[in-house]
Amino acid sequence: MKKLHIKQLIEKIEGEAELDFTFNEGKIEDVKINFGFYRGIEEILQGKDARDALVITPRVCGICNHAHLMTAVRAIENGYENAGQKIELTSKAKDIREFTLACELIQNHIKWLYMTLLPQIESYLDCKSEENYAIKASYLASTITKALAIFAGQWPHSSYAVPGGVTCDPTYVDVMQAQSLVDESIKFFEQVVTELPLDAYLNIDFCADLHNIGGDFGKLLHLIGSSGMTEIGKSHDRFIVFGECMLSKSGKSIGTKVSNVNSKYVKESPQKGTVAKAVTYRDRLYEVGPLARGMVAKRTIVKNLHKRYKDSLLTRVFARIDEVAILLAYAKNLLANLNLEEASCTLDLHTALQDFEGTGVVEAARGSLIHKTKVKDGLIVNYEIITPTQWNLSHGEKDEKGIAVEAMKGSKNIEEATFIFRTFDVCSVCTTQ
Amino acid sequence: MKIAEKKALKRESIIQTALQLFSVNGFHRTTIPDIATKLQMSVGNLYNYFSSKDILAQEIIKYTSEALGEKIRVVNGLDVSAEQKIHEIVDVYFTMAKEKPEMIEYFLRVYLSNREVFSDGCEGMVCVSGFITEIMVFFDDSVSSGELRNQDFFSAFGLFMGYLGGMVFLKGEDVLPQGIEFYIDDISRNIYNALKA
Amino acid sequence: MKPRLLWLQAITCNGNTHSFLNHPNLFSILSHFEIVHHPALDGSYSMEDVIKGEVPCDVLILEGSFIEEGFLKGGVEVSKLIQNYANKAKHIISAGTCATFGGIFKQKDPDKISGFCFDLEEKTSRYDMYASKLISLPGCPMHPKWMSYVLLMLANKKVIEIDNLHRPVELYGYTVHTGCTRNEYFEWKIDTKNYGLKEGCLFYEQGCQGPYTRGSCNKILWNDVSSKTRSGTPCFGCTEPTFPQASLYSTKTNMGIPAKMPLGIPRRAYLTLTGVTKSFKIKRFTERLMDYDK
Repeated sequence: MKKLHIKQLIEKIEGEAELDFTFNEGKIEDVKINFGFYRGIEEILQGKDARDALVITPRVCGICNHAHLMTAVRAIENGYENAGQKIELTSKAKDIREFTLACELIQNHIKWLYMTLLPQIESYLDCKSEENYAIKASYLASTITKALAIFAGQWPHSSYAVPGGVTCDPTYVDVMQAQSLVDESIKFFEQVVTELPLDAYLNIDFCADLHNIGGDFGKLLHLIGSSGMTEIGKSHDRFIVFGECMLSKSGKSIGTKVSNVNSKYVKESPQKGTVAKAVTYRDRLYEVGPLARGMVAKRTIVKNLHKRYKDSLLTRVFARIDEVAILLAYAKNLLANLNLEEASCTLDLHTALQDFEGTGVVEAARGSLIHKTKVKDGLIVNYEIITPTQWNLSHGEKDEKGIAVEAMKGSKNIEEATFIFRTFDVCSVCTTQ
Repeated sequence: MKIAEKKALKRESIIQTALQLFSVNGFHRTTIPDIATKLQMSVGNLYNYFSSKDILAQEIIKYTSEALGEKIRVVNGLDVSAEQKIHEIVDVYFTMAKEKPEMIEYFLRVYLSNREVFSDGCEGMVCVSGFITEIMVFFDDSVSSGELRNQDFFSAFGLFMGYLGGMVFLKGEDVLPQGIEFYIDDISRNIYNALKA
Repeated sequence: MKPRLLWLQAITCNGNTHSFLNHPNLFSILSHFEIVHHPALDGSYSMEDVIKGEVPCDVLILEGSFIEEGFLKGGVEVSKLIQNYANKAKHIISAGTCATFGGIFKQKDPDKISGFCFDLEEKTSRYDMYASKLISLPGCPMHPKWMSYVLLMLANKKVIEIDNLHRPVELYGYTVHTGCTRNEYFEWKIDTKNYGLKEGCLFYEQGCQGPYTRGSCNKILWNDVSSKTRSGTPCFGCTEPTFPQASLYSTKTNMGIPAKMPLGIPRRAYLTLTGVTKSFKIKRFTERLMDYDK
């Protein structure tokens, strides 16, 4: 049987992509993922003042701009330290940055649940409920980003993190307001997403307990379980995390074997037929994102799910929504322990190093985000951005397909493959920066 | 002539007369009655224009500042280089020092030397803003055009004004061998060389 | 029949989409329209239908910078798609600075990339054709309530008063400076001493463009709670045709004098006022706000 090529436009992935499926004997053998337009932010940054990256890089992406801001400021701070200028963030500045970043991840995952996964799975399984899922996403997103904006001024596109700390100077009026917004978000998670108290949810360790989850998350898990999708979407079972954060330490997990990583082995390379670049670690492909974090951190429930279902669609989907619970509890805790007595920014206003090179890494919603900046005479001479979606969508070579491609391989129809593709929470704009 | 115009002229003549008397007899030895007598007006009437000697002193500094500022404003409006403008400003200043010495002398010997007279009502640069503003405009234009080096405002201001004030002081002490106009070229060149980009 | 709304994207980061999704009354606003297609919300048609060029469109929302050729979606030039629907639409709203003036992405290829009807402040070749329908909502991103204002005005069939760049005057008549919590420090020319302090003005050294940037960020507030300047970040002038300029975190000065004056303020007036205010030491402004005489 000859190989069949079918092109499919995928929309609502923070932009669009064209998937070029190769069918061989009725099964998907390969998928080429093509993005149409390269915006060139890395080139736009050349020649600009080093700190302008804090304004420009968030404009890579409308949904994860805050992660770009945090990565950009860490790149500058790392550069300063490499050049001999010590950076000592107060715990207040660190906690505020962690808090606002957690808020962005939460709205990201929730939007994916309600605006991508649930509508798409219902469409695929032909069981469309008449629910307005988007209104739930909009409610939670606007609530949690309000808490973010109390400290960061606005969302999207804040630039409130600067070398040495943050620009805000909050009082308890701000903290109390943010606390009540986090509490509202937790209430939403408890009443609508899981129909479980947050503590009870976070105590779930075993697969058998998953059936206790109700709400929309429970509905999603049930739909996946009852339609035989627990075995599909498996990839190379190879995970990597570069950012150090509450969710996970940095490291890689090959299967369940966890070991260290060094970002110097990360390599970007151009790919034919698409403007997106491929990324490898020591020339191998790895998955990034919530599942990777769960595996590297050895989160009990993720480990147990993985034991039974490996890196299938079920494990991957679970790990992403699971992070919402962890992040909500984390956010609440950060606010409760915020020390307002400390300074917001410990670097003097006029400190602006002229020559430095630095790397910043952050765990963004979809996985590890890396920025590398090289500055001479105060101006950027080179800037590199490696986004999480680049990792998951790298096409791969003949002998080994990319992470998402491998997950789609073997699928018998485009609808199923497309759904698998969406479980990676693809971000088109990040891939085409 | 309208009443308002008459009053304005009278006001100005009080100021001119006061300046003259301060210059000849000294600030402290000159009294309001002295000024009134010189103008052939009653003391009471003079107090209608200026309610105290201190107030008069403050108004005079504003007046002289605006007079100088007006001339420098004209220079700022000229379509010439910064180097040329420096020459014009020095010219303006030294010409006034020559033709109306009582005005520049007042600034040096009364304003700068009797701070207690000016501390309540002429805080900081409030009363000399007419003049300072024009110097700021000159600096802004010249740095913006790339002719003068960008630097702290006061470093440049101190150099310019300190230099001019110092020369006028020397003139007042009768120490300068030549008339003050002789020094315009050299001083302008020195200032330009110090401030240029 | 409800007006049919189509949200098209060109060269964008999706910031305006996500900004609008944050509107607290999103669905009641959208209830006035039939959504033909939207980058994130459900619509009556798919992207493939849109690309075929046949879907209805009464209100066209454009997001992202414009390029004549070299950007294809489903094999069709985005520029053709946009112009096709711009011809059909009764109203065209350029959402964000990229769609309006060119914005950040213009800097990748300044000769080829621009806004739809404006290239920075100049009119493009398309201006004359679409000017009668055009409403500009520059901002990076635009504020969700600027969009809801326009949509509700359209739904209520009211005429929106616009300026020469087609920005609604009721939104852009203010400057970002209007309503900033640091106004007193601006009035008395008190610099902020460092980042992370609620005291002090960001205009003199930190590059704040609030005093000459058109927008209502400090009047309407972002996310209903705050703004850049209220949280200590300088305004970067993101609604203006010139966005982004260079060295956004520092104020360009000539011998300490700000190179750009607040909107409409003559330089001499500003300098005179500066001279006066700098002559006075107001004790309250040298202290921390919360450290007052209790």
